[in-house]
Amino acid sequence: MAQAASEPASGATLTLRCDGCGAQIQVAAGLRTAKCPYCASPAVIERPADPSRPDPAFVLGFVVTKERALEQARAWIRRPWFAPGAFRRAEPSDVRGLYLPVYLYTAMASAEYSAEIGENYIVVETYVTTDSKGNTVTRTRTRTKTEWRSLSGSWVSYVDDIIVSASSGLPNDELERVEPFDLRALHRFSPKVLSGWIAEDPSIGPEQCLTQARSETDAAIARRLAAHMPGDSHRGLQYRWRAEHEDLELMMLPVWVLAVKYAADKPLVRLVVNGQSGTVGGRAPLSWAKIVAVIVAALVIIVVAVLIGGSR
Amino acid sequence: MTSGACTRCASPLEQGDFRCAICGLPTPKDDITPSHVAEVNAAVMRCHGCGAAVAYDVKAAAPKCAFCGSVTALETPEDPLEQAEAFLSFRVDPEQAKAALRTWMGGLGWFRPGDLRDGAVVDKLEPLWWAGWAFAAGVRVTWAADSDAGAGRSAWAPHSGEFGLELTDVLVPASRGLTDAECEALAPGYNLRDATAQPDPQRRALVEQFDVQRSAARATIARALTETAARHAADRVPGNSKRNVKVAVVPQRMSTRRLGFPAYVLAYRYGDTVYRAIVHGQDPQFVVGKAPWSWTRIFVIVAAAIAGIGLVALIVALAS
Repeated sequence: MAQAASEPASGATLTLRCDGCGAQIQVAAGLRTAKCPYCASPAVIERPADPSRPDPAFVLGFVVTKERALEQARAWIRRPWFAPGAFRRAEPSDVRGLYLPVYLYTAMASAEYSAEIGENYIVVETYVTTDSKGNTVTRTRTRTKTEWRSLSGSWVSYVDDIIVSASSGLPNDELERVEPFDLRALHRFSPKVLSGWIAEDPSIGPEQCLTQARSETDAAIARRLAAHMPGDSHRGLQYRWRAEHEDLELMMLPVWVLAVKYAADKPLVRLVVNGQSGTVGGRAPLSWAKIVAVIVAALVIIVVAVLIGGSR
Repeated sequence: MTSGACTRCASPLEQGDFRCAICGLPTPKDDITPSHVAEVNAAVMRCHGCGAAVAYDVKAAAPKCAFCGSVTALETPEDPLEQAEAFLSFRVDPEQAKAALRTWMGGLGWFRPGDLRDGAVVDKLEPLWWAGWAFAAGVRVTWAADSDAGAGRSAWAPHSGEFGLELTDVLVPASRGLTDAECEALAPGYNLRDATAQPDPQRRALVEQFDVQRSAARATIARALTETAARHAADRVPGNSKRNVKVAVVPQRMSTRRLGFPAYVLAYRYGDTVYRAIVHGQDPQFVVGKAPWSWTRIFVIVAAAIAGIGLVALIVALAS
């Protein structure tokens, strides 16, 4: 086994002895893996667990190869029409596979709700009109109206598979773009799965992740409550929910991270590829020239249509 | 094989589960090796075979030694093919099954051939244990629905409610040989306590395999639980007409048994056509299957009905 070495004075780096060749290696703080620059041995940093940095319970292994991640990213880059042409022609680079620390949240949720439920009914109306020969006639037509009734009640369910990023380097909104992950393929955490790959330690604490997970759960409950409402429609849905038996487990997810440089004066665009499904997420830049051109073209079409319509 | 119970929903956990199949709570790990690390170190993961460093390999989907190529197995949730854990006993012998088939044929009604009961020839009788699950659970059910109770201008008014439900011995078919409708017709006649761990070899009956993995089985059973809860909820909605019955459930203490259910599959010939019927293996009153229609009798009834309508029309015409 490798020996413990000096703890970082500033928290910036750790100096550890390589288990392979005995050389001193520098490990950036916050990383869970390293590679010896002398013998190329991959190492996994093992630390005593503490409440802010617990041991991962699960890990999902990479399924998507580097080549496939690149293909998926190239296809994604070519797609957004409103992106600048230089972006759509750019080649992704700096491809890195990394294990991202996330928290898996599960709970039992109980909600109390109230809403107005719209129940439709049909009425037959009589109206007076003029027929094709100019005669005044009385006719009937049916109209659908809505009767609004109030409803309140309870709703219970288990909440599972809520995943939130524990990395300040890859925030939760970027992770959400490449979800879902198939958690049926979970492995119990083994440091061997991280070996040879970049792996981060959690840089966001469990309390903050719990708050984020509850926020995601709230949004999920809102969707599920909306689907739970009877009637033909509903409005004014209000609810309060509470969680029982909450659980938060640290796990490692596989993602490919790529950079796209499409102009010298523009910042790099980061793409994330789900290492299990190949789903690509990122924020493509917008070409304001294209957007203005489309708006102008639309306005011209509208003006021409109005002019043609007015001349008849 | 169970391995303790979930601390959140009290459902039994099976060997190899990482998370509770009912509520999703992760199961505790037996040995938490990383927690035993006393100090920071950079450990090279070694191959058990040759001692060289291993790294995770995407194509192998596992840590692989670059030197000798050996792959390290990872601890993964077990998802085996389901196997029956008990077999309900046959209480009906083949002769009783044939007699039950004849009785069933005789009770099908006037639109069937008059000589069906005595004229049909049983070609084949195959005893089998068909595959199915029986589950039990306590369920907290919350529901919302529309009904005509309390309706105003619209024909519908919304209602909601909540109740607890104790489900026992709810049967969910897993059979590929029998249709769901056939299984459901036979289900009420089974005594789920009359089971043995091994099939009776004297019966020489076919044992249908589940042919489904544990994860898929759990999804099927969860759907069946929600459907059962919805049926119970529909019974509690006030009024006569109901629609949009929505349920949200929290199952607890959910246990599932994988069972083999005894039945006879019979092929019988009437005229030139072969029909299939299933006779229950424990209660011969339960028979389900297909049977021929008597088109002569149906034609006679239709002709008589038309003649009757014509006669009434004629009388009305003459009277007016």
